[in-house]
Amino acid sequence: MAILEGKSVSKLFGALPAVDQVDFYLQQGEILGLIGPNGAGKTTLVNLVTGTYPMTHGEILFESKRINGLKPAVIARMGIARTFQIVKPFLGMTVRENVVIGSLFGKGGTERKTKMAFEEADRWIEFVHLQDYRNASVDQINISFRKRMDLAKALAMGPSVLMLDEVMAGLNTKDIEEMMALVTRINQELKITLLVIEHVMKAVMGLCHRVMVLHHGKKISDGSPQEIVNDDRVIEAYLGERYAKSRRAS
Amino acid sequence: MEGKKQKRLIIGIIISFGFMVLPLLIEGYWIRVMSSIFMYAIITGALNIIAGFAGYAAFGNIVFFGIGAYTTAMLMLRVGFPWWTGVIVGAILAAIFAILVGLPILRLRGHYFAIATLGINRATEQIALDWGSFTGGGKGITLPLPKMEIQSFYAMIYFIMFGLLILTVLTNLLIARSRLGYALRAIRDNEDAAEASGIFAPTCKVIAWAISAFLTGLTGGVFAYWFSFIEPATVFDIMIAVKAFVMMMLGGAGSVLGPILGAFLLELISETVWGQFLTIHMLILGIIVIVVVIFIPRGLLELFRRKISLAALIKNIKNQSV
Amino acid sequence: MFLQVLLNGIFLGAIYANIAVGFSLAWGVMDVINVAHGTMIVIGSFITFFLFKFCGLDPFLSIPFSMFILFLIGYSTQKYLLNFVVKVGIFLSLTLTFGLDLFLINVVLLIFTGDYRSVTPSYSGTNFQMGRMIIPYVRLVTLGICFLLTMLLQLFLTKTRTGRAIRATSQNRQAAEIVGVNVAKVYSITLAISAALAGACGSLISMVQSFTPFEGGFFIMKAFIICVLGGLGNVMGAIIGGLILGIVETMGARIFGTGFQEAISAIIMILVLIFMPKGIVGSKYK
Repeated sequence: MAILEGKSVSKLFGALPAVDQVDFYLQQGEILGLIGPNGAGKTTLVNLVTGTYPMTHGEILFESKRINGLKPAVIARMGIARTFQIVKPFLGMTVRENVVIGSLFGKGGTERKTKMAFEEADRWIEFVHLQDYRNASVDQINISFRKRMDLAKALAMGPSVLMLDEVMAGLNTKDIEEMMALVTRINQELKITLLVIEHVMKAVMGLCHRVMVLHHGKKISDGSPQEIVNDDRVIEAYLGERYAKSRRAS
Repeated sequence: MEGKKQKRLIIGIIISFGFMVLPLLIEGYWIRVMSSIFMYAIITGALNIIAGFAGYAAFGNIVFFGIGAYTTAMLMLRVGFPWWTGVIVGAILAAIFAILVGLPILRLRGHYFAIATLGINRATEQIALDWGSFTGGGKGITLPLPKMEIQSFYAMIYFIMFGLLILTVLTNLLIARSRLGYALRAIRDNEDAAEASGIFAPTCKVIAWAISAFLTGLTGGVFAYWFSFIEPATVFDIMIAVKAFVMMMLGGAGSVLGPILGAFLLELISETVWGQFLTIHMLILGIIVIVVVIFIPRGLLELFRRKISLAALIKNIKNQSV
Repeated sequence: MFLQVLLNGIFLGAIYANIAVGFSLAWGVMDVINVAHGTMIVIGSFITFFLFKFCGLDPFLSIPFSMFILFLIGYSTQKYLLNFVVKVGIFLSLTLTFGLDLFLINVVLLIFTGDYRSVTPSYSGTNFQMGRMIIPYVRLVTLGICFLLTMLLQLFLTKTRTGRAIRATSQNRQAAEIVGVNVAKVYSITLAISAALAGACGSLISMVQSFTPFEGGFFIMKAFIICVLGGLGNVMGAIIGGLILGIVETMGARIFGTGFQEAISAIIMILVLIFMPKGIVGSKYK
């Protein structure tokens, strides 16, 4: 069943199409990779799903219900969470307080009392192995920890769909492997459907069941990781026409 | 209750008791000074809710003071209501005003919001000035005098202001620990991320401003009763708002006690300086404002909590400079 | 009659535009709302007053002096005060300039007292007559000088190296830093120019209305309104906004009388903020 579906989704900034009539779907339980050169429209697409940007044309359905046009907070409470490419933590608060924002206001948050929300937050902090830094002030921890905290907050929102925006960016090899293990756990243990924007190919190949490729706002390919890596159009988008031609020739 | 909280509660009760007994020990002049300090502390504490917690620089928050003052004055004079009814109605009106104005205005960010609030204060002040037939215009309004002996009256005002201060502190405390408090702080730190986390920012902001307006309005009403005379220039005075801002910053915006502390400190300094250097009182205030902004922007509480040394402070300033 | 009112509106508008251009420069380039800008204008007025009263210097000739002194004040303010807080946040620079405003007002108050002053040179009340229109000499020269100053500013910003550095920094501070622009110095010069313009403005205003050290607040409100109307950091916008405000106010006073004038201006500003956040003219300098 497609838990998330987009039909002819378009976003124009003035006359510039950042996202151009993209059709996409997310099967429940899968990890979909979203790749493409910089400026392809990947983050914009995520922003359209979360309601942060209003859509110009098209339709987005979550669990068969239309969500385009709804406020970001409403969509968040329905069960869609995301992390940010450039991490946006709440700098004036501790790690624990940052995560509790997710458990207080995400799905099921309104039924929780503050104390329970904190317990929930602690659970997710442990899940991402950040318990040693629970009470640290966010402006004092490094990027790798901040990303994990961002992840914990998103998980604390109790989402059924989680969208990760370049969550591996800026991490070293060891951190990447740990993060990949976490993502796998999220998908398999917690049964959360994931959309993963990534440039780190190792992660894309290792994690994703299926991959979608955007270029200049348009979807140019869709298939298994193996298929898209060998797709001429994808190679052309990343490495240029000349390389693609020479590769075909050889 | 945990040991630390218990200790704080006891200290709080002792201090409060001290303040309640104080009028017996000091003479009339100082009772009025303390009342004034309490008043500034309330205004600052109320400002903290919208500016400290939510991060919206409501430079024109004093408009609610004016609304409270004028409502109380007119209800007492024209309708014959008792002072406390006037005060409460004034506060409610201020809160309603905050909701009506807040819905469109709170969508503005940063500078624009600050300017809009200044504009609102200015517009309201001008209306009070120009609508002479209704508000008495520039001549102001003289309220019915209280029917009691003057020293007892001042003591009563002292206790009313103190009571309002306790109310303000408790309100701040409650908000800080509640969902609203967390929502506001998230909004302050990153409004987009807050909304993406499920926070209804517009609702939270309007509620915060309404609470802030209510408390400020209460104070304005009591002020009117206290001084028995109000005019637009006094109750819509931007200087009060600026002082409140500096007090909030001095003590530590966004904390519960910081703004109160800042108010006490700055007003006490003001009083002593006023006593000694009448003519350059405002000038020194201006210098204090500048010094606080550059050296103690996060507030004194933060300074003590993190035990920041002077060297670290200077390094901090250098790092953030252009 | 209509043309006269329009002309009066333009005269007023030119002054308003001048107030706004300086104010808008600091805002657009550095995101600094200099609340003390109004008082800087007042200082310009007092400098002209002083030179006129005690040195007999013609007010128009005092403009270079007031501009120079205010240039220094603006430069030092940015260099020694504002540069430490501009990067941090809006509360800080806004509150700092409030404090500065307090300080400046009281310095002027101490020196000159709170009495109303005005500058009335011998040609004060003289007019030209053109058809049925009365054109006060002072107002006409003021219009000319406002125009000249704005043109000079525009030339400075587009043709000189420093001017281009200012524009570059305004668009992207980090990028400017990388190519070697001394941002601290650029900022200092920007506020200095903004203050100098305020000084010139004050000198011109001194002949048009009486003033006290407290006049600043009134000017700042006008500046806010115009910048909101005309769009931020936008010289053209400030000019057009200023002219529009001047004309609207003059006509409004003619038709409706002067009551509620201030309130209406403030409300218009708020409405524009809500419904047209980019201003009537355009968007930020960037």
